[in-house]
Amino acid sequence: MFWKKLAAMAGNVVGAKHKTDGRSEKGILVFHHTSEVIRAESLLKEAGYTVSVKGPPPDLRTGCDLVIEFPLVSQLKIAELLAGARITPLKILPLQDLLLEPVGLFHTKDFGDYVMVRAANMKITIDKNDLRIVNVSGGGCPDVPFLAESLVGKSLHEAPPPRSIGHTLCGYALQLAYEELLRRCPG
Amino acid sequence: MSEIVDARGLSCPQPVLLVMSKIQKKASGEIEVIVDNEVSRENISRAARAKGWEVREERREGEDRHLILVR
Repeated sequence: MFWKKLAAMAGNVVGAKHKTDGRSEKGILVFHHTSEVIRAESLLKEAGYTVSVKGPPPDLRTGCDLVIEFPLVSQLKIAELLAGARITPLKILPLQDLLLEPVGLFHTKDFGDYVMVRAANMKITIDKNDLRIVNVSGGGCPDVPFLAESLVGKSLHEAPPPRSIGHTLCGYALQLAYEELLRRCPG
Repeated sequence: MSEIVDARGLSCPQPVLLVMSKIQKKASGEIEVIVDNEVSRENISRAARAKGWEVREERREGEDRHLILVR
């Protein structure tokens, strides 16, 4: 008891703070198919939950390339909400049980005058000088050529959001890449 | 006389960016682009048209595709 008090006093003198990396406050929802991720994300965001789509941790095997990170404190309510919409996660896991964290979805490559962002299987490239989209590619969905025709040549801030014109998984991934570019290049 | 852009062996989006860089430097003229896959052909055609260039000719030589862009 005495030594515990002494250690606590020492901590206060030095100003040490108890560090948490936030991992124990979060969990991930794992789904069988990416379409379920898309539906669940929309549902949870509309309900006001702060969730984010990420790549699964490397030590987690899943049939889908995306997981949803959510605040653990809301686990029960989130599970009820999903059940009500007939969305059934394969697994619901606290992050603290996993060796590694979910990975970021975005890969950015700088080509000098151009920058490319890739999200999952879709890539979007812009000219840094005028923020015009010069290339959209990736995926194998039938609407990819249409998405490319609709976006290439347009300014990043004037182009239609991919999700508004593409309704496949490729459209969803492209939307993520587009949003990441908007964050990096605010108008 | 065409300027030649050889974009064979490059991964997306580098073929497009090579052509875009060439187009930025030329207000008008003719550019011959050589690629080795259909995706690059489509992406370059699309990007060039968006910049006001026309794909005047396309031909295939073995595995390679040649595009003649003009403005």
